[in-house]
Amino acid sequence: MESLAIYVPRLVTTKEYFAPGHRACMGCGEALAVRLVCKALGRNIIIANATGCMEIVSSPLPSTSWEVPWIHTLFENTAAVASGIEAGIKVLRRKGKYTKRTKVVAMAGDGGTADIGFQALSGVLERGHDLIYICFDNEAYMNTGIQRSSSTPLGASTTTSPAGKVSIGQTTWKKNMPAIAVAHDIPYVATACHSYPFDLMNKISKAIEIKGPSYIHILSVCPTGWRLPSDLTIKAGRLAIETGIFPLYEVEKDRYTLNLDFPQLRPIEDYFKLQGRFRHLSKEITSQIQERVAAEYAKLKKKATSNNY
Amino acid sequence: MTEKDKTIEIRWHGRGGQGAVTSAELLALAAIEEGKFAQAFPSFGPERRGAPVLVFNRVSDVNPIRARVSVTNPDIVVILDPGLIYITDVTSGLKEGGVLIINTTKTLVDITSELNGPWKLAVVNATSIAREMLGVPIVNTTMLGALVKATGIIELESLTEPLKERFGARAKGNIDACRKAYEETEIAELSGIVEKPRKTFETETFPSWQELLPGCVVTEAGNAKQYRTGDWKSERPVLDHQKCIKCGICYLFCPEGCIGQNEDGYFEANLYYCKGCGICARECWTEAIKMVEEE
Repeated sequence: MESLAIYVPRLVTTKEYFAPGHRACMGCGEALAVRLVCKALGRNIIIANATGCMEIVSSPLPSTSWEVPWIHTLFENTAAVASGIEAGIKVLRRKGKYTKRTKVVAMAGDGGTADIGFQALSGVLERGHDLIYICFDNEAYMNTGIQRSSSTPLGASTTTSPAGKVSIGQTTWKKNMPAIAVAHDIPYVATACHSYPFDLMNKISKAIEIKGPSYIHILSVCPTGWRLPSDLTIKAGRLAIETGIFPLYEVEKDRYTLNLDFPQLRPIEDYFKLQGRFRHLSKEITSQIQERVAAEYAKLKKKATSNNY
Repeated sequence: MTEKDKTIEIRWHGRGGQGAVTSAELLALAAIEEGKFAQAFPSFGPERRGAPVLVFNRVSDVNPIRARVSVTNPDIVVILDPGLIYITDVTSGLKEGGVLIINTTKTLVDITSELNGPWKLAVVNATSIAREMLGVPIVNTTMLGALVKATGIIELESLTEPLKERFGARAKGNIDACRKAYEETEIAELSGIVEKPRKTFETETFPSWQELLPGCVVTEAGNAKQYRTGDWKSERPVLDHQKCIKCGICYLFCPEGCIGQNEDGYFEANLYYCKGCGICARECWTEAIKMVEEE
């Protein structure tokens, strides 16, 4: 670490568009991710934000943490509302009533993206609106009390997939949302994590420049739902990437790039033993998950290397 | 207070994650086990781990409980975190002759000078008991012992079964902590009339919903800045200027965005917002930041 002399004030803007005083849990990874995203987005944006943790903690009615235009949408129509705003801006611009370059951003949690808001998201990606869709993935419905979503990884214990004598917790694999977004053949898809803030902010800046829909999937560690001490948020995010469970990559028009590649992935036990939600997993299941993670990572790496022409 | 036909109302002041909800449920279960009627429920809000929470209990010896509203005039108030005394009006609506039970490191005399009123006061250092018996400063079950001692609302033994059911293998520590608190709780009858000035924090500057524009539009961007999240914290970051290399990693990783650079170039946390998560201390390469206990 010593050799990487980073002097942060020279690298990031000190402007904050996500004000303190929000009511997220202490050590909230999602709040941190939103703050970094807002730094990278800048002023000239309009945000449509689905119901979920980030909507609840940032805007209990008379107060708001947002210093940019922001609208609360329902769980299922975030992408639709954002596409409406984008279409409206387009018309105003055609009529010469609006000249600013404003980007529309849709934000939702993993429930609002992979489950409830899935149809609207698919529609937006298919119609090719010029907007950014950001999914803050904390791997369950944390706002309402840790219920499983289709983004919950195999073996995680939640209140609706509790681990016990019979059940191992969540019984299905995590839905691969970035791959679904790639399948829509859109210009830009990326995964990011708040533990790698510069990578995250670069990806947002890149998405702003791109014309057409871009999808960014951000892993946000939830200390409450993951049963983790609040100061380990950043470490848990790093371990998710170092173990290959959540690889950082981007896809520009079918061209895959692995942003962080490791010659040797860390064993997933390092990641699991930190968190209470995986504490019950047996050796067999852990090795089963390890196999799958390694296979998925190899697949991704192959895609990334095969188009390095 | 222990008249046969009366419903006893309890209000718990705790913090998100401290287990106030659990202990209220355990109390209700224990009372039901004794053949009494009881209910337990929390007050919901968009508040998270570390935020002040309210939980309510009603216990009646003979009558079924029909009320489904929050408790405004409690007979008993239980405070799990001493810091809450200064930020919320904990004695609000407490009946004359009621009981106030506080987890605090202060002595009975000290706390009396702060909270004097026509009620019974019980103090116990539940945090140190919980640390000793459970290894973690989670005081909810410990405070149940203090509650039983101060009020006699249920028998201590009735708690054993619900605790076993709830905590399984970890029940023993909880039962021991409960018993220890029962033994160590100090009680005083106060008659004081003094209402000492209390620091209450203001959110009155927020507009009410009638003042908002149609469609509930908030026009003042970022007005959440008025909301003080700093009182959620139980630990506070302290910067060692000798070790700090002013790299700003703490600033980058703060979920509140409350760390700023002062004139000398050091990064200091704004304690008005700092929730005390400890990320800055964990991520500081030079270990210049230490978390110290609040108060």
